[in-house]
Amino acid sequence: MIRRRPHLLWLLVPFVLYIGALPFVNRVEPVVFGLPFFFAWMLAATVLTPVAAYLTWRGDQRMRAGR
Amino acid sequence: MSAAAVATSIFGVFMVATVALGLFAVRGRGGQGGLTEWSVGGRSLGAVFIWVLMAGESYTSFSYLGAAGWGYNFGAPVLYVVAYMSCGYAVGYVVGPMLWAYAREHGLVGITDMIAHRYGKPWLGAVVAVLATVFLLPYIQLQITGMGVVVSTISYGSISLNWAYFLAFAVTTGFVVVSGLRGSAWVSVLKDVLVIATLAFLAIYVPLHYFDGYGHFFDRIVAEKRDWLTLPGSGGSAYGTAWFATTSLLNALTVVIFPTTVAGYLGARNADALRRNAIWLPAYNVLLFVPMLLGMAALFVVPGLTGADSNLALFKLVTDSLPAWAVGVIGVAAALSSIVPMAVFMLVIGTMWGRSVLSLVPRLHSQSRQKAASQTVVVIAGTLALIMTYTAPNTLVRLSLISYEGMAQLLPMLLLGLVWRRLSLVGAASGLVVGVGIVCALVFTENDPVFGVNAGIVALAANLAVALAVTWARPADADPRPDTEVLASDPDPEPAEVTSGTSGTASA
Repeated sequence: MIRRRPHLLWLLVPFVLYIGALPFVNRVEPVVFGLPFFFAWMLAATVLTPVAAYLTWRGDQRMRAGR
Repeated sequence: MSAAAVATSIFGVFMVATVALGLFAVRGRGGQGGLTEWSVGGRSLGAVFIWVLMAGESYTSFSYLGAAGWGYNFGAPVLYVVAYMSCGYAVGYVVGPMLWAYAREHGLVGITDMIAHRYGKPWLGAVVAVLATVFLLPYIQLQITGMGVVVSTISYGSISLNWAYFLAFAVTTGFVVVSGLRGSAWVSVLKDVLVIATLAFLAIYVPLHYFDGYGHFFDRIVAEKRDWLTLPGSGGSAYGTAWFATTSLLNALTVVIFPTTVAGYLGARNADALRRNAIWLPAYNVLLFVPMLLGMAALFVVPGLTGADSNLALFKLVTDSLPAWAVGVIGVAAALSSIVPMAVFMLVIGTMWGRSVLSLVPRLHSQSRQKAASQTVVVIAGTLALIMTYTAPNTLVRLSLISYEGMAQLLPMLLLGLVWRRLSLVGAASGLVVGVGIVCALVFTENDPVFGVNAGIVALAANLAVALAVTWARPADADPRPDTEVLASDPDPEPAEVTSGTSGTASA
């Protein structure tokens, strides 16, 4: 399935951001726009997850159009 | 008019409107369609409806009470909710369409149905239905309790807790019996409008009112409450990085097979509606940051809440700083956040029993009787949850601890089973028994987290190991049906294409 639809790998992005990155982002500083770093990171991940899902979806769309 | 009267009247008006909306939604459709119309909306809900419905399920009264309470008590660990939901939607991008296609092809209405079909054993569906009900009932009770607390608080105590519990039960049960999944989706729209509006308002108002803006609020938190800002959170909590990672992972996998999520999937008109939902649903999670942060704001305004009272962190802020009518509206938003998920939980229990348990009784075979039987089960389940709310609240709180981790133990039997033909009935069942056993043992001996790791994932590992070992140790199941009849595959994004390349599904 991955070989046929390699864009599904985009779906790993939230796992990397929320779970894989944990050891590096569990900190208060630097403060981003007043927000403590860990919260800022989690907020960024929450905003980026829809982007990753969109890229997956676009990959599926292109696959559909390409054949 | 007193504050209590104002807030209570607003609340009452909205509750009547809710039931009316549910009735309106099924107008002209009553009586037709039987169980499928009631339980999965006739599989005809479009992308927008599925979005509001699934967003509605994930945004429960826990978000108002529990999220703020965890933020108040521990701080950063509460972010696991956002983490697992976002990751879960990513998993759902693949699993959702797969389950949807499987159910539609074989005319199934839930996970117990799927399991019965996959292993060709109706009794297995019945057993899983009973197990799943045990794991779901605590959620209904939690919603009853949550809504009761909200109603009692916004009426400034003029509606007693016990009456509020009954009100929560009566409104929801009546509503779900008449309206089904379609009505729930409609009420979800009303609820989402209120939730988004009230949370956006609170997000701006509370920091301004108490701290002269976000800058000062965050400055104070960073200066005075550093413990709250990183894992493992305040007060030497057991929720460190390992717990956060394993819980997010386990819940992300479990949420896609959670019976209520699956009900949302199966309501979709087509698979692409689900894929597009996987894009937009995570965006809704941004809203969850609001109650979490407000819970932490409450640390400065109403310090010293302990135990169950910390769940009221957000509402203490609300009643403390806003006029009665605003309290009423926010109360309605929170109450609807209980009603919608509770309705879907009850609906799912009713459907599971109607299809997988009661259908084993020959007399109840026809579609209309299945629906009537399912609706009866809904009333019984709701009553049971209500009775237990009054008589044995602690038992159910304990059960709710094992709910998610217990439901996770169905993963190998359901998901692995749907993509891997060799997994045998005895193997999957042995794994399930071991997994549920370990979850219960660890939770009831208060060893969750165990070694800093989510107990459910430990049980799941043992579950999977046993399932594989038993499967390989014994001969394959003798089931003459072809793979295409038994296994599920992600429907190709290209609708017109005939699925010729099924070879890829075994490795999915």
